[in-house]
Amino acid sequence: MTVITQTLSEYKTQLLRNRLGLWIFILSETFLFGGILISRIYLWGGTRPHLEQGLAFVLTSALLTSSFFMNRAETAVALGNIKEFKRGLQWTMALGTLFLIGVVALEWPASGLKASTDAYGAVFYLMTGMHAFHVLTGIIFLAIIYRNGKNGLYTPERHWAVEAAAVYWHFVDVVWIFFYPAIYLIGTIA
Amino acid sequence: MDEKKKAQIYEKGIIVLIVLSVLTIGELWFALFGLTWWSILILVALTKAFLVVRDYMHIGRLFAGEEEY
Repeated sequence: MTVITQTLSEYKTQLLRNRLGLWIFILSETFLFGGILISRIYLWGGTRPHLEQGLAFVLTSALLTSSFFMNRAETAVALGNIKEFKRGLQWTMALGTLFLIGVVALEWPASGLKASTDAYGAVFYLMTGMHAFHVLTGIIFLAIIYRNGKNGLYTPERHWAVEAAAVYWHFVDVVWIFFYPAIYLIGTIA
Repeated sequence: MDEKKKAQIYEKGIIVLIVLSVLTIGELWFALFGLTWWSILILVALTKAFLVVRDYMHIGRLFAGEEEY
């Protein structure tokens, strides 16, 4: 059995430090994805490969909607509503999984690109692959907090892990907000 | 947290989702009509990112005091 020894005041002080650490991590990730985005701009320029825009739009919508449910789940735990917290997380994980399967199982084979062929293939797989990896780790993170929430580990006052998972998930969404137009919309088809 | 504030938070989440959806449809519409202007699409992406960072990631908490959960 876990015994909470930290006072609420100590917890709040720790929370501020945790938030700062999390956002520094997010900043470091921003540099990583920013570098990848710059490689797309440099190597593709004003062109892009021919890709399935309809599928990408559906997957993008799924990811944006997952952020809505994540926000709802986080709000629910802050209000002590564990039932809604779990429902929100279930939707988030389902939509995240849909996005992941859509990219890896549908988009990749449909693209007709190969990572080793040219700059289009290399950049396409680098961007979608690195992002998909983050979606996968996000889903794992969400599954852990879902189980912990189910076991009653979170209260309206103490739910830092949920906040961290939410910020991470939304960040993955923000990355896709820039990657989606860069891969599928901007430029003329090569 | 009272019911009014709770309703406000949920309502804000829905409004953000609607705005994001409209902007995403707008982006696709631009691309389908061949209007692939970097400046417009980047501006749309920046607007969407701003909304997510402010309203879903709650970046304001980083600068808030200990009272903010």
